[in-house]
Amino acid sequence: MTGLRDLVQKDLGFIMETDKAGARWPITVTDPSGAASTGLYGLSGDISQVIDPDTGQIISGRLATVSIRISALSALGLGIPQGIEDNTKKPWIVTFNDINGNSFTFKVAQSSPDRGIGFVNCTLEQYTP
Amino acid sequence: MIETLIDKQDNFEIIRDQVAAILALEVANQQTLATAALKDPNLWKLRIYIERANPWEAFLHPTIDESPLVNVWYENTDFDLSSSNVGERQRARGILNIDIYGYGKSANNPAGGHKAGDELAALNCQRGLRLVRNILMAAEYTYLGLRGVVTGRMPQSIRFFQPEQDNRAVQNIVASRLALAVSFNEYSPQVVLNTLEFISIDVIRAEDGEILIEADYDFTP
Repeated sequence: MTGLRDLVQKDLGFIMETDKAGARWPITVTDPSGAASTGLYGLSGDISQVIDPDTGQIISGRLATVSIRISALSALGLGIPQGIEDNTKKPWIVTFNDINGNSFTFKVAQSSPDRGIGFVNCTLEQYTP
Repeated sequence: MIETLIDKQDNFEIIRDQVAAILALEVANQQTLATAALKDPNLWKLRIYIERANPWEAFLHPTIDESPLVNVWYENTDFDLSSSNVGERQRARGILNIDIYGYGKSANNPAGGHKAGDELAALNCQRGLRLVRNILMAAEYTYLGLRGVVTGRMPQSIRFFQPEQDNRAVQNIVASRLALAVSFNEYSPQVVLNTLEFISIDVIRAEDGEILIEADYDFTP
């Protein structure tokens, strides 16, 4: 008997990784050892936002995120991405194109895995490779 | 009615512009000195603005100048009644806020590991703040180059601002504020009187000590 979570996981795979749902986007994830994913799909976002740095003057900012199924990462031999604060180590790197084909590289600043249904949402920050 | 056009800047505006001009001039000079000392002049570079609401927009785009931004803006004036007069001069103490925005971008370190953007942003912000405070409190600018208008300046406080952390932005920013108190006078328009008559008076002490006054009235009947 298939449980509700199994069903959600299956739907996630359909929505995030198949071209039938139309939402998938090619994403490259590189772990701190330098191992990079190939053929990985997920959801990506890169939008402007408004930030208040508490100086009384609102400033423009940019927020980028990716969402990937944990099982898709595992299948490629990768773990769950996470923010690496120790600057003696290499960070997790995420690369994807915008809708116009321009490639952007980011560092994983924060990851929020949902192990219940099996996906990880990563908040990104600009990175110069 | 006031008979003359009020076509001037108040002293608080002049002081704000002067602070920005001093910073721009001295930052350029520091870069020249750094070059002469065989150091990277970009470490002494600041971009100066006055009364700008969104200087950070510049950091949003890929091809950017990553040097810290400085925004000089005027916050408030308190007037000292005991040192002012009701006719012409108002003794003032104003607060200028000098906001310094530091930017940092995480980057690969070829020697190993990586450079953390949040740390770089804080260090860039503090480097800018250090320059600003040292320039404005240098002995050369005791009166901000406006002796006769400014009677003193002193930092009131330094505060750092952390950007919103819940929705972490792609770019790392740290802002700090140097609040600079400046003492000065503000002046207001005066009534221009018409001359009615000239009067000449001589005051004389007589030999017996009596005070005598002789007045001449030069008028046309």
